[in-house]
Amino acid sequence: MFEKSEIYLAGGEPIEFVHNGQRFRIHTVLSSWRESGGWWNRASDGLFRPDDGSRILWRVEAAPIGAMKTFEIEREEGVGLWRIRPTSRPA
Amino acid sequence: MSFTHLHVASGFSFKYGTTLPDALVAQARDFGMHSMALTDRDGLSGAIRFTQSCLENQISPIIGIDISYENQTRITLLATPGKGWSSLVRVVTQLKNYGAPCDLNFLKQNSNYTKNLLALHGPDSEISRALTSRRYDKALLIFNSTRDLFLDQSIECVSHLIYGDGPKSTTHAARMLNFARDHDLPAVLTNAVRMKSREDAPIADVLDATRHLLPLHKKVVERKNAEAFLKNSDEMVFLAEKIAAAAGERNAKQLLKTTKDWAERAVLSPQSDIGLGSIHLPEPHVVGAKSQLELTAQLRSRAYAGVNWRYGDLSSEVEERLNKELSIIASLGYESYFLTVADITDRARNSGIRVAARGSGAGSLVCHLLGISGVEPLSLGLLMERFCSPLRKALPDIDIDVESARRLEIYDQVFESYQQRCATVAMFDKYRARHAIRDVGAALSLPPMEIDLVAKSLPYIRARNISQALENLPELKNLNLTSGNWKMAIGLAERLDGLPRNLAMHPCAVVISDIGLYDRAPIETNASNYPMVQWDKDDVEAIGLLKLDILGVRMQSALAYSVSEIKRTSNLSLDLDGIPLDDEKTFELIQSTKTLGLFQIESPGQRELVGKFAPQSFTDLIIDISLFRPGPVKSDMITPFLNARQGWKAREIFHPDLLEILDDTEGVVVFHEQVIEIIAKLGGVSLAEADEKRRALGDKEGQQEVCDWFFPAATARGYSLEIVTKMWEVLRAFASFGFCKAHAAAFALPTYQSAWLKAHYPAAFLAGVLTHDPGMYPKRLILDEARRFGVKIEKLDINKSDRSYRVENDSSIRLALADVSGISDGEIDAILSNRPFVDLADFVHRSGVSRPTCEALLMVGAFDALYPDTLNHRDLLLHLNDLYKWSRTSSKALLNLSGSQLTFGFTPELSKTGLPDLRAYEQVRNEIEFLGMDVSHHMMEFYAEFLNQIGAVKSSDLIKQRSNSSVLVAGVKVILQTPPIRSGKRVIFVTLDDGNGCSDATFFEDAQRSYAETLYNSKLLLVRGNLRRTGARGVSIRATGAWDLSAAYEKWRNLALCE
Repeated sequence: MFEKSEIYLAGGEPIEFVHNGQRFRIHTVLSSWRESGGWWNRASDGLFRPDDGSRILWRVEAAPIGAMKTFEIEREEGVGLWRIRPTSRPA
Repeated sequence: MSFTHLHVASGFSFKYGTTLPDALVAQARDFGMHSMALTDRDGLSGAIRFTQSCLENQISPIIGIDISYENQTRITLLATPGKGWSSLVRVVTQLKNYGAPCDLNFLKQNSNYTKNLLALHGPDSEISRALTSRRYDKALLIFNSTRDLFLDQSIECVSHLIYGDGPKSTTHAARMLNFARDHDLPAVLTNAVRMKSREDAPIADVLDATRHLLPLHKKVVERKNAEAFLKNSDEMVFLAEKIAAAAGERNAKQLLKTTKDWAERAVLSPQSDIGLGSIHLPEPHVVGAKSQLELTAQLRSRAYAGVNWRYGDLSSEVEERLNKELSIIASLGYESYFLTVADITDRARNSGIRVAARGSGAGSLVCHLLGISGVEPLSLGLLMERFCSPLRKALPDIDIDVESARRLEIYDQVFESYQQRCATVAMFDKYRARHAIRDVGAALSLPPMEIDLVAKSLPYIRARNISQALENLPELKNLNLTSGNWKMAIGLAERLDGLPRNLAMHPCAVVISDIGLYDRAPIETNASNYPMVQWDKDDVEAIGLLKLDILGVRMQSALAYSVSEIKRTSNLSLDLDGIPLDDEKTFELIQSTKTLGLFQIESPGQRELVGKFAPQSFTDLIIDISLFRPGPVKSDMITPFLNARQGWKAREIFHPDLLEILDDTEGVVVFHEQVIEIIAKLGGVSLAEADEKRRALGDKEGQQEVCDWFFPAATARGYSLEIVTKMWEVLRAFASFGFCKAHAAAFALPTYQSAWLKAHYPAAFLAGVLTHDPGMYPKRLILDEARRFGVKIEKLDINKSDRSYRVENDSSIRLALADVSGISDGEIDAILSNRPFVDLADFVHRSGVSRPTCEALLMVGAFDALYPDTLNHRDLLLHLNDLYKWSRTSSKALLNLSGSQLTFGFTPELSKTGLPDLRAYEQVRNEIEFLGMDVSHHMMEFYAEFLNQIGAVKSSDLIKQRSNSSVLVAGVKVILQTPPIRSGKRVIFVTLDDGNGCSDATFFEDAQRSYAETLYNSKLLLVRGNLRRTGARGVSIRATGAWDLSAAYEKWRNLALCE
């Protein structure tokens, strides 16, 4: 489970987080949804928590910061030759 | 920007929506929204109160309906201005008759109406289904199939932000939006709301569980999260953007714009569309007039004809009052109202059904002359203005009381003659404490036994007060109500408070309107097969439908029965409505407090009041009935009245001008009519204006307004400030407790009639009471009362007893077959048509009555007359046994051995066995078991010796006891009551019957602690208390102890045996 302090938000949406001591950047939100319910199984202390268990979930693709690299892939049309080289140039 | 919700279910989506319309509207207002829709599921029950609430909160109402469509899908329809509302109403009515979910066929049949409606295809629609399975072609086909059936239709995008890509997920909403864009269809955004806020989600879950009659489980609960609430505009814009983005649109502007356009197209006018504040009475031709003008003339001539009937000749007083009333009615255009009600009462009377008006209508002379009300208003000082006033543009309320046993006959007459113009009215069966606990308990799977115990112990209170009530219920101490689950259950149950559970038929209200009724009100056929408006009585009043309460009153049946018994036995046709109202014998009876069986004045409290008061006139009866209500009791109006009446204290009348108004009530303000007259006199205004002031006194704000007017107005007319101040105090204090004198007078009439009958024809009257059971006392007590009035009670006789109680020889009552336990209507019919019977064998052979019934008849002595005294019940019982054995074997023999040598002529012989007869107490036990009452002996007879020895006082001798002496009384517990009392503390009244009459004892709080349990649990009681004389015939006992009589008797007997 996450601690809130380990999540970095922008406009209420997570953008980075720390997991197993490693800091991740979120590259794509695949989906986001809300869940709640099942309170009747959990409220055995009798405290009436109207919306307990209400959760927002994000399913994301993320990678450790720095693990993401930019490459250029090139194909020479005449001979069908492929080349790959790391790059730092903006796209 | 302000968003408009187009898809909102309120609590009137029974067992689905969590919030009442007014709370939703208030929330929308707080969000700064300008309009809002109510689209309840499959009904319009919330529509009127929603509209009223919109009007108050300056929200423009949009009304629609979320209907179930074939294949478990749903579609939402919205009314448009103009013809939309009546079309929606018609569609709902038609759909209720359709008997199946809506489908294409239904829509085609009703396209006349649906073409005035907008349709939304939302996440539960067939189109959504098709899109979920990627059948884009099918989705378009469905959309096109209904294209010409509606004014317009759109795709409804809903995202509850749930996981996945199914309905109510953002992905699905985007797919719906894309579908709309691909085919150039309009698309709107809604939130498919069913609750006010996220916090209501558990209530929604409980309602889901209750609706499915299953315990709470993920599969039972419809929601996946708590998003189906009334979101504010920003939250909705956020959703719009999410959906638009997911659909690949650059922004949400178009989605929000279309939603706004659609909202504007569907906004209705509360007045011109829905009809708030309008009035729709039957058309003139319904009551036989060609025009409004002719209607006026017809009412006038009928009223004048009534003068002849009621008064003989026309006095100037009557003429003046009549003209005044007629001009008020004409100015309001209510002629057809009066004539319609008169028509209904006429029809009833023509079929020989007793009718009486109740309520303020009895104050109108026109009502009296048209035969609606039997009370003569002028001599009693009843005012028309309390009932119907030119200053109040609301339909006056006439209620009529009819014989309970024949009430539905009147319903049938009304429906037969008014047909499409009338319907019954619904009432909303709302969650109260018991239902709430039961439903929540079942949803949470609490032990059924515990749920049952808690539910049964709860008094009939609002659900929100459950925890408070549970604190005072000692019988629940053994349950652990503080356990987690119970605490949660109680918390949830309290939150169900006031939610409607379903529609029920109002027990007595019908609406009568013009031919447009079915255009204005959704009507379904209810369980009793009557058409029923989906609204309650406040709703129908708000849209101006004439509401008539037709109440079944058992006393009216009892009175009718008595009159028919008098006619049958002495061939005397009695006009009960024409008897003089000053009969001495009648008032003697009332003053004697022997009022058991009488209307309104038979309760212990009333008997005490009547004893102190000793009413001497019909007006006194009216006062008596008005005083005996919670308000006057709480504010102690009775004491000053009685003090002045008995001459113990001088009456207080502050000014000679008030003498005439307050004379009858000894200076005490008892009636609304008096308040009206005082205001009119001191303030110098008309009675109609004075009634408006009186109504304003009901709330704080109005009181201040009236106060600001009253002081200058009255002082300007020359009344001293002191008198004005005093009178103001009285008005302010009593305005809320006062009673409508016309209503009390209407009630006093059957009271008087019942007393008159009891005084002159006790046997016939009590036969009526026994047959129709109108009162609060068990029949055994009425039997005792009959004996005390010299009426002989004849036991059941198989050849003489009828279905009901019959008078024999003018002075005895024959018990009724209908009271034999387990007997069916068919068995009674068989007995009546096959008699006389010569003996038991004959009866068994020919009557076709079941063996248990036959035994019951035998045990209560129905065959005694057929046999000599030498044969007793045990002999007969054995004989009956033989007879049945024989009839079984002989019928078997007939089946199996036809033609054999069995002697069919053989019947078992009845012989004396020598067994002793049943003892008296066994006989009484049988009577109680099979008849529900003791007939041959009074239960208390068996305790006579004991009671004698311990010095218990007979109820009939109480009056001879000294005041302040300590007494013991005993008897069968007849009534246990905890009525409202001035201090608000609980007081228990118990009434005991000892065969000589009734004694009433009062247990105050100090005496309850040790004895309440005995009082509640014992049937036979011994009570100790201090006796006090309270008036000429009045006694009261302040109880100091109570014991179970049979336990005390056993102890005494054991002691006696030891000695």
